[in-house]
Amino acid sequence: MSYEPKIVGFLCNWCSYTGADLAGTSRIQYPANIRIIRVMCSARIDPTFVVDALAQGADGVLICGCHPGDCHYSEGNYKAMRRFPLLKKLLKSYGVEDERVRQTWVSASEGQRFADVVTDMTERVRALGPSRIHATLLTDRLER
Amino acid sequence: MQNSRIGVYICNCGSNIAHIVDAEAVKESAAALPDVVIARSYRYMCSNPGQEMIIQDIRELGLNRIVVSACSPRMHERTFRNACKTGGLNPYLCEMANIREQCSWVHADKLAATEKAIALTKGAVNRVRYQEPLDSLTAEMCASTLVLGGGIAGLTAALELALAGHPVYLVEKTDRLGGNLARVDLTAPYLDSARDLLTERITHLRDNSNISVMLSSHLKNLSGFVGNYCAIVETNNGHNPPEEKTIHVGNVIVATGYKEFDASRITHYGYGKLPNVITSFEFEQMLRTGRVQTKSGQLPQYVAIIHCVGSRSKEFHGYCSRVCCMTALKYAHEIKSALPDSYVSDVYIDMHAFGKGCEDFYKKSSEVKTLFLMYGKNERPVIRKADPSDDCEMLIEVDEKLSGERIEIPADLVILMVGMEARPDSAEVARLVNISADKDGWFIESHPKLDPVATTTDGIYIAGTCVAPKDIPDTVAQARAAAGRILAKIAKGKIEIDGVFAEINEDRCSGCRMCNDLCPYSAIEFDVVKKRSHVIPAACKACGACVAACPSSAIKGRHFTDQQIYAQIGGVLA
Repeated sequence: MSYEPKIVGFLCNWCSYTGADLAGTSRIQYPANIRIIRVMCSARIDPTFVVDALAQGADGVLICGCHPGDCHYSEGNYKAMRRFPLLKKLLKSYGVEDERVRQTWVSASEGQRFADVVTDMTERVRALGPSRIHATLLTDRLER
Repeated sequence: MQNSRIGVYICNCGSNIAHIVDAEAVKESAAALPDVVIARSYRYMCSNPGQEMIIQDIRELGLNRIVVSACSPRMHERTFRNACKTGGLNPYLCEMANIREQCSWVHADKLAATEKAIALTKGAVNRVRYQEPLDSLTAEMCASTLVLGGGIAGLTAALELALAGHPVYLVEKTDRLGGNLARVDLTAPYLDSARDLLTERITHLRDNSNISVMLSSHLKNLSGFVGNYCAIVETNNGHNPPEEKTIHVGNVIVATGYKEFDASRITHYGYGKLPNVITSFEFEQMLRTGRVQTKSGQLPQYVAIIHCVGSRSKEFHGYCSRVCCMTALKYAHEIKSALPDSYVSDVYIDMHAFGKGCEDFYKKSSEVKTLFLMYGKNERPVIRKADPSDDCEMLIEVDEKLSGERIEIPADLVILMVGMEARPDSAEVARLVNISADKDGWFIESHPKLDPVATTTDGIYIAGTCVAPKDIPDTVAQARAAAGRILAKIAKGKIEIDGVFAEINEDRCSGCRMCNDLCPYSAIEFDVVKKRSHVIPAACKACGACVAACPSSAIKGRHFTDQQIYAQIGGVLA
């Protein structure tokens, strides 16, 4: 069987999770590699969730929230947005390829966009091949 | 932690799930997971027999955790939580895995979809182990209300609440009540006097001892949460030094109204340069004094009314201000009654006459011989000074759409129907009471259709033209609706607070106060004595921004704890 990457998606309840539901009710097809975890707001996504997902075997992590200006909690997505570059910097120092972790915005009405994002991300992660970072991250975590 | 006894229920959703996902395989895989006492697959879990199955298993097998792999939790989480409750289990001990919207409906590969459904179910089983029973809290509801704005909306809301016997603080920025309506003469379409409408309200209000009117005052700070707000109101009448008063209220109604568009922003109308180009509010003033005349005191023979000044335009405001069309028709009536020999031209884009009685009013206006001229949205008329040989002061050039001709209209007086815009301090007010404003500065309702006077902050209501342009009947309806919502809450006496909120472990809190500023609801308070922060559960909306940000990991996001999410990550990746 060909290599199937595992991707964990952290989606905010109000926009992106609802957008993913809309992809479902509209029967828009996308690859089955993504495993979605619901949080109330993208601001709840602790950077350690991403690191943990990579340590536990994810080949990619997708973070989705409401579009800027549209957050259910006024500006949680801005907080998530500001946190992200720091996380990317950390992941880079571990040798995690840039395309494995992605943050983007999907509104409740963007079922098609959600499917497109997942399709695109799955292809990119598939092209990168299996993540080799699990072991390193796991050891680091145990040492802590 | 008590030993978990988990029941897992795989819904087939008729064939919606089962035609792609092998529900039996998901069931078998779940049954093999640690702590899973029972795993079942059923045609419709949300049906009565489906729910009954869960309820019975809770009772007979002593289950203390439930996982339902079915549709989106946005669809049926409440259903299964209620089933748990009926079975005697705390509703927060139920978790759903979304194997329909986010699995069977979006994947065609049966093998991959089944594998994913197994993973999602495992994630939910892992997570539910760490879920905790949560109870909702209750808090007292203070029966006093703060009303911001002394226009027709604020006056009406205040009266409604006061007549029901509850204290109201009516805060008005200027030194008089009445708001924008106090600047108006007659009202469309029935031509009753604005003064009469207001006098009725204000007299009743003055007679009611429940209402404290605070003029020349504004809200300086608002803290607390629904049922228990603490407002600081500053009064500054210019004579005495500013005075601050602290008041305790349960709810707030924001009815701060609108501001008219500044006509001088449209340069080619010559407002501010041509003396007899005036705004609709200046014309109202003329009508109120009872003399329609030009700057030099002459009676105008030709009066032109130009619609959509600042409204429905790309450069200024894209929206329609809703009331100007009918106000313009009202002017046609009032001018014709004051100066029967005058000629009135009404220069419009589209005539919006959608309110009750408005279409009839439009018809009547045509009968009083108003000349209607239609212009294109992007071909605004141009006003210029007439030649001395003309018998009028100004000429308006307009590409008339219905005739397709360029027409020159004579005018001695031009009335610009200035639209409504959000007040310049709307962002400041929104910040003070913790609500949102849209790109135009109008306050945003909780739901535009189903919850139009509530906001996303509990206990803060909005009414009237601070929400969007609207006429008097709609404004009054909103004001009464806001008051009605508050009365219902006061009648209940206590408020129920959802069990999902953030909690600060004071032993771990370092008192850095980072969370204080992060919270969009000002729900985190700092205890200066203890030097620790704490969450006000009633104000917390459980977004979790503080939880992720706390450098000491002292904040727990109830029902979305780190432990629960780590466990779920492990499950979906297994």
